[in-house]
Amino acid sequence: MPSFSAEVFQNEFISEGSSDVHAIVSVTCTGAGEAGRGGGGDAAEIIIVDTSGSMLDAKIVAARQAAAVAVDQILDGTWFAIISGTHVATRAFPYPNARVSMVQMEPGARAAAKEAISRLEADGGTAMGSWLKLAGQLFDTVPQATQRHAILLTDGQNQSEQPHQFQNAIDSVTGRFQCDCRGVGADWDVAELRRVSTALLGTVDLIADPASMAADFEQLMQKAMGRGVAEATLRVWAPQGSQLLWVRQVSPNVEDLTSRRVEVNPLTSAFPTGAWGDESRDYHVAVRVPPQAVGQERLAARVQLLVGQETVSQGLVKAKWSGDDALTTRIDPAVAHYTGQAELATAIQEGLAAKAAGDAETATTKLGRAVALAAETGNDEATSKLRKVVDIDDPATGTVRLKRSVDKLDEMALDTASTKTTRVNKR
Amino acid sequence: MNENPPTDAAGQQINCPNCGEDAEPGDLFCEGCGQDLPDGITPAAAVGNRRPGGMAHPNASSPTRPMDMNALSPTCRNCAGTTFLDGYCENCGTPAVKVRDHWQERPATWVAGMSDRGIRHHRNEDGLALSARPEPGSRAILVVCDGVSSSADSDIASLAAARAARDVLERPRPDVPSVAGRISAWNERLAMAGAEANKQAIEAGRDPSGRAGERQDSPPSCTFAAAVFDSGVIVVGWVGDSRIYWIPDSGEPEQMSRDDSWATEQILAGVPREEAENGPRAHAITRWLGPDSPDSVPTRDSRVPDRPGWLLVCSDGLWNYASPARDLAEVVRALADEVQGDPGLLAGRLIDWANSRGGQDNITVALARIAPIPPQRGPAAEAALQPTQPMPEGWNLYPDADYGSPET
Repeated sequence: MPSFSAEVFQNEFISEGSSDVHAIVSVTCTGAGEAGRGGGGDAAEIIIVDTSGSMLDAKIVAARQAAAVAVDQILDGTWFAIISGTHVATRAFPYPNARVSMVQMEPGARAAAKEAISRLEADGGTAMGSWLKLAGQLFDTVPQATQRHAILLTDGQNQSEQPHQFQNAIDSVTGRFQCDCRGVGADWDVAELRRVSTALLGTVDLIADPASMAADFEQLMQKAMGRGVAEATLRVWAPQGSQLLWVRQVSPNVEDLTSRRVEVNPLTSAFPTGAWGDESRDYHVAVRVPPQAVGQERLAARVQLLVGQETVSQGLVKAKWSGDDALTTRIDPAVAHYTGQAELATAIQEGLAAKAAGDAETATTKLGRAVALAAETGNDEATSKLRKVVDIDDPATGTVRLKRSVDKLDEMALDTASTKTTRVNKR
Repeated sequence: MNENPPTDAAGQQINCPNCGEDAEPGDLFCEGCGQDLPDGITPAAAVGNRRPGGMAHPNASSPTRPMDMNALSPTCRNCAGTTFLDGYCENCGTPAVKVRDHWQERPATWVAGMSDRGIRHHRNEDGLALSARPEPGSRAILVVCDGVSSSADSDIASLAAARAARDVLERPRPDVPSVAGRISAWNERLAMAGAEANKQAIEAGRDPSGRAGERQDSPPSCTFAAAVFDSGVIVVGWVGDSRIYWIPDSGEPEQMSRDDSWATEQILAGVPREEAENGPRAHAITRWLGPDSPDSVPTRDSRVPDRPGWLLVCSDGLWNYASPARDLAEVVRALADEVQGDPGLLAGRLIDWANSRGGQDNITVALARIAPIPPQRGPAAEAALQPTQPMPEGWNLYPDADYGSPET
């Protein structure tokens, strides 16, 4: 049986006249079990492989291999399908002439799917929106599958669709399945794929070398199969007269959930969090409460995780007004750490965007700030990736110079890694 | 079967203040969590919903005397919300408190009181006890005792004292037709009530609660302020600095009690009120109830009001923010208008008002709405000034009781 726990990290004490309360709520799941085997419904997986013309040669070979490895990881009994994506979306397996859209995994199906994968050829354009829409249609044929996940692999930009068509497609499948996105090579657009992964509660990452694709897919699919909790919802109550400033996932990666808010009642908001395996996720909750007199206490937020209608864990965020500066000026280390990490992600993304737009001054400032924040928060991965884009004169002050020539892949690696956070030592 | 089921006048169900489980009339324990149900607490819906738009229709026969003061209050002391989760109000997030820290009594439609911890103190050491006949303007008994916070267990002393006094004052007695006779009779009864209250305050000191870390060096003590309205006459008695005000709807309001306090001694000696009440020893009282009381006999006074108004008894947690009768009357009149003269709502608003001004002390307010004024026999003003009349038969319940010496 899955079990959840929640811990709250905050400084409850705020000074007279203050109204903003910040807390990190750390939710941990253990005993999640395997996808589709918890009794709450079946699991379904779709592998979407870009088979556009640019995927020629080494890339399509690596993609075939990666898809086959992923198929090996899909647990027996899981509903699955393979989509071949060009300027149109085609169901590659079950074959287009099959009468069913998805089949359940078993040794025979695994062999047949690999056979179909080996026949994938690179030819045509790229219309990712149509791939996502077909995936949605296929999932719809298996209502018994309550846990739905897809992996999308591409190597290029979405050239065969208008941006609004792409966005409409994303909107139409949001909430219907989760999708992890992977880009191979240097010709795809990080921001474009991030739109998909953010909306569909997944991740986005770079596969710089086609040769490492199989290992990446294997790990991705293992992770998906290890999510035995199909869907959980983060629910946040805040008192009357207060304002929920933001709810942001800050670990393992930064994801602002505020725009995903669904109103439960005027005081309570719900945010979908997708499927859970054995893992910890940290959330930064910020609430503005009406200031009270010194000595008063208010519950500023109740943060709950729900599976179905059941509350599986909760944490309480409190506000206690105090006249003691020694109490109120202390900033909780977890709040400070993740505030810095979220700012780091923004600084990297804005810095790279400015650099791409030819605004060297802004790029230098933002990436310099990123270097300082990475040093401050001990994010060594970000520091080493930043080093490939800027020359660092002084990490403490964020004094940097843009490198004259930068490998595009290094920039993309920095961009995709920008939202990954390091955990704080909370005690 | 319990005679006072935990429902309001309309038969509306109340919920367990601990877990929210529905309670049935007569339930002594919560079905959900086993907690003792606070028998006799009037739920917010019955005493008056303090949120805008909801006028309550309380029934005078509904239970109004909290029994289990250690249970959690079913009503939020901030917003009057009635749903709690994790020990916090589900509407505004204010922590739930014990009944002892925030409760309301409403013995009749025209009489209500509320006692609240305030903001700065961690415990409510005020006591409150009320009694009233259902018919408006018939008879009301308001008692407020303010525990002296520097002494141990004064929260126990103050509540025991207030309830003991109320119990003495509400004992049956024959009707006395004349105004002067009634005043005289109540004077005696107030002395008796003060003596009984003093006895209970002393008892509280003999049976210490055993709270760890509590100061035991100074015995429990409290103030005493009681007001009786009986068919047209107001008779009051006090020890210490809890106050009794008569606030007519028009004309000059009046502080009927004169504090037994250092500040008042200063004022009588010619120091301006503001200066005296803000002095370093402004809150030092010169008389109190308890084991080391120098003189526990209530000072008494009476009035025969000639127009409708509010009889108000309160602890210094209220009057600290508007000490002169005129200032307090202005607040009371304005808030009374806002709540259409409902005493239950008005008590809540006055508590809110004091808390909004800082809530530096416990706040207790007892109110009787005096309207209409019943006709009196003979010139009322003259009657009120009559010297003490011989006691009518049936008044002295304890002929041998020692009430102390009368005022000179």
